[in-house]
Amino acid sequence: MKMYSGHSNRRYLIAALVAVFIAVVLHPTRSEAYAGPGAGFAVLSSFWTLLVAFLYSLYAFLTWPFRHLLRLFRRRKAYGNAQIRRAVILGFDGMDPELAERFINEGKLPNLAKLRQQGTFSKLRTTFPAISPVAWSTFMTGVNPGKHNIYDFLGRDLASYLPYLSSAEIRGPKRSFKLGKYTIPLGKPEIKGMRKSTPFWHWLGKAGIFCSVIRVPVTFPPEKFPGVLLSGMCVPDLKGSQGTFCFCTTRASGDKFREGGVRVPVERNGSAFHSYVPGPEDPLGNGSGKELRVNFEIRPDVSRQQARITADSESFTIKVGQYSEWIPVKFKAGLGFSAHGICRFYLKEVSPEVEVYVTPVNIDPGRPDLPISHPVTYSIYLAKLFGPYATLGLAEDTWALNEEVLDDDAFLAQAYGNHEDRERMLFDALEKTQQGLCACVFDTTDRVQHMFWRYLEEDHPAARNVPRDQRPNVVQDLYQRMDNLIGRVMQQISDDTLLLVVSDHGFKSFARCVNLNAWLHQNGYLTLKENKTESGDWFEDVDWSRTRAYTMGLNGLFLNLKGREREGIVAPGADAETLKDELRTKLDGLVDPASGRVGITGVFDCDTVYAGPYVDNAPDLIVGYGDGYRASWDSVMGKVTSQIFEDNLKAWSGDHCIDPRLVPGVLFSNHKIAVEKPAIVDVAPTMLKLFGLAIPKHIDGKPWKVATQSSAA
Amino acid sequence: MSASIFRIDLPAAIVIVLSIVIGLLMVLVFAWTSDQKAIHVAKDHLKAHLLAVRLFQDQLPVVLRSYGRIVLGTGRYLRLAFKPLLYAIIPLTVLIVFLDLYLGWKPLKSGETFLVKVHTASADALDGVSLQLPPDIESTAPAVHVPADNEVIWRAEAAKQGQYEISVADAGQTVSKRVVVSEGIPRVSPIRLQGFWKRIFISGEPALPDGSHIQSVEVVYPARNIYFLGMEWNWIWLFFVLSLIAGFAFKSILGIEI
Repeated sequence: MKMYSGHSNRRYLIAALVAVFIAVVLHPTRSEAYAGPGAGFAVLSSFWTLLVAFLYSLYAFLTWPFRHLLRLFRRRKAYGNAQIRRAVILGFDGMDPELAERFINEGKLPNLAKLRQQGTFSKLRTTFPAISPVAWSTFMTGVNPGKHNIYDFLGRDLASYLPYLSSAEIRGPKRSFKLGKYTIPLGKPEIKGMRKSTPFWHWLGKAGIFCSVIRVPVTFPPEKFPGVLLSGMCVPDLKGSQGTFCFCTTRASGDKFREGGVRVPVERNGSAFHSYVPGPEDPLGNGSGKELRVNFEIRPDVSRQQARITADSESFTIKVGQYSEWIPVKFKAGLGFSAHGICRFYLKEVSPEVEVYVTPVNIDPGRPDLPISHPVTYSIYLAKLFGPYATLGLAEDTWALNEEVLDDDAFLAQAYGNHEDRERMLFDALEKTQQGLCACVFDTTDRVQHMFWRYLEEDHPAARNVPRDQRPNVVQDLYQRMDNLIGRVMQQISDDTLLLVVSDHGFKSFARCVNLNAWLHQNGYLTLKENKTESGDWFEDVDWSRTRAYTMGLNGLFLNLKGREREGIVAPGADAETLKDELRTKLDGLVDPASGRVGITGVFDCDTVYAGPYVDNAPDLIVGYGDGYRASWDSVMGKVTSQIFEDNLKAWSGDHCIDPRLVPGVLFSNHKIAVEKPAIVDVAPTMLKLFGLAIPKHIDGKPWKVATQSSAA
Repeated sequence: MSASIFRIDLPAAIVIVLSIVIGLLMVLVFAWTSDQKAIHVAKDHLKAHLLAVRLFQDQLPVVLRSYGRIVLGTGRYLRLAFKPLLYAIIPLTVLIVFLDLYLGWKPLKSGETFLVKVHTASADALDGVSLQLPPDIESTAPAVHVPADNEVIWRAEAAKQGQYEISVADAGQTVSKRVVVSEGIPRVSPIRLQGFWKRIFISGEPALPDGSHIQSVEVVYPARNIYFLGMEWNWIWLFFVLSLIAGFAFKSILGIEI
């Protein structure tokens, strides 16, 4: 009865509201009086949208005949010699051909099986070294690293022996002026891309072929070209790093994280807790290094195992083991200067301690402080259409799992959350690019294999504590998800669309670490300062005046060359060549005494594997580790330890930075491709050829012979 | 010159204060009664489709689809804004009707002539209509009959300030109408009417009896124009503009999606 009464009242209320509204609207005498602010807002906002749309439509309508003619002319020219209408390239970073084949044969990947049966499946030769920024740079430019200048994630400063990011250099504005305690920057930060040579979509775009390029690595800073592009791997976070997570905890502070994160104390204040998210350096701070912060409050509800978090003006509740949505954060620097970012909060614990993990603060795609797309509006368009999304190059926080701040489930939730965003972008790009090129790279394959390879092996050091029957099928599930994605893409494309599924490299186990600096030290090539038996990070205790070779980064081995390195001692020419030969001879086939297995299966002279104007920036030798081995975590950071070989106990348990011959990528296609040993360097010239463009002479790759219709057709 | 542009008299001050207060209230009502998240998403989608038109301008099917989505998105946005609009409109309507009686018309000044218009049901009834004035108001011209409009008009003048009742008689029935002569901002009802809907919006006096030949009695007051920023404004337009500005300002400050 009550219910009836309630419904009845509501009905009368609605009827009354509608009656008043109609009377107000229809009343002719002074109806303007009753529009009022409420209606005014709604009407003005929608009117404004319609007005803008109308004006733009008018412009588009009036100019359409001219543009259409121009487009017809350009398109006829552009597509006149094209063998295909559209190419869709799905880049699955790190998809391994052996694993793919195994799962196909087990009947777990029906869509890849279909591609193998009706089109093409092959291994795809990778680059030297088999590292993503190197391989994807070769993918897009069709040249070897000697021509695109990317040899690793890191380069080394010849004066200081310190590392720098190899793909892009970000500097503050050149000019500034002082105003009291502030230093006001004049102009924008300078971002310089370090990758050389031209991506193939620039050639296509210039020829009038539309291209949508999403998250291909080493596309930051985004370069201008006639198409749309969202930058991928190497986009920094708001701090300018490649991803610095923040772990806020009431627990007493321990050691600082080795990689990728900062520990921030959580202070109790009554029933609430307070902490902060560290941000970028204060741009007005005159280089003082003062960090900007966003404070946040945590109000735990222990009985419900949840907490209410308030950061800036945003307030939200999350349960233990749950992520928040992307939360906008604004780092205020004073004088109206601010930096805009987004981050997600993950509630780890509310009792007895309070612990919150915060993702690295990503550049806000809806309001980018640095350009992360071309045109700039493309990232904004995607943010408006799908909501905020991860923009950081290495968006899946592998460091947090390595440092055990996140557990397996939390990491996977984060990785697949990003993956779903990427899928939405891909399908939008497919819809928008009915003719031309659509290329999208998915990083999930790489990150998940890095972190969960340990469960694939019987006796991986990082999974020895996990009983065999409790190990999840994470990698198999990953491949099935990717297969499912391919299936959905295949439903969207017709037979005249070429689908390529490529990976930049494959994957192998990373069970044992090799500290090459330790080997160099023990074999007399690297000398430490007096009374030192080990060295801290970045060669802190290395005596350069007595050091002939050193290593940093993942695969590069460098001579301490006179006239090149600041304190170089090896004479270029014959001495250097002799030293290289000596190192190659000794390292090639280096055996791990603990297992008797070969830890290094090849050492490659860069003078023979690279050719081009930037060879001088390359390492002197590329070290190819054997299956199960990789450069140790310490060696990568220029640290010298006493142990050459040791177990890898981190969750990061699979890798590809080994002998490139052991980790080819995959090539799947819905069209038959007649080529014996395809390589990633061939993709760019193949695309140019398929769209009827001449292949520039400097390109190293060779175009494949691709059937212009799918076999299914 | 600049001093005159920024001159603010009492009616303008009232409108400004009211606009700010109402602007704030309307924004709060909008926030409380709307689905803020849905409005945010709807607006973002609209912006995305607008950007799509620009980003993919050479691809006609994409552009046309985007236009379609803009129209659909605008409809979705208006639907979301409709509920808070309904909640806002009732109190606002009542308030504006109430305020219009004070700010819509100026009262008569002493010695100022004015017209009294009586509208009848038919032209035949015009001859039977007569006007009776209180002692301080005198007729300054004979009645003018306008049969085409069923209307009879008198011209009159009030000698001094005050509130008066004038009477209009027809076939033995007499109805009254208030006349306000003042220098301030009193409540002024320009017309007395039959019926309900029309009356609630523009009359501040009781309804005329049903069945009477007399359908309305009107005293023609001069419209009140409000001087603001060097221009003469109808108070409602000024209120509309200022309350919108205030509303947009408060929405930004309070972080409310509109």
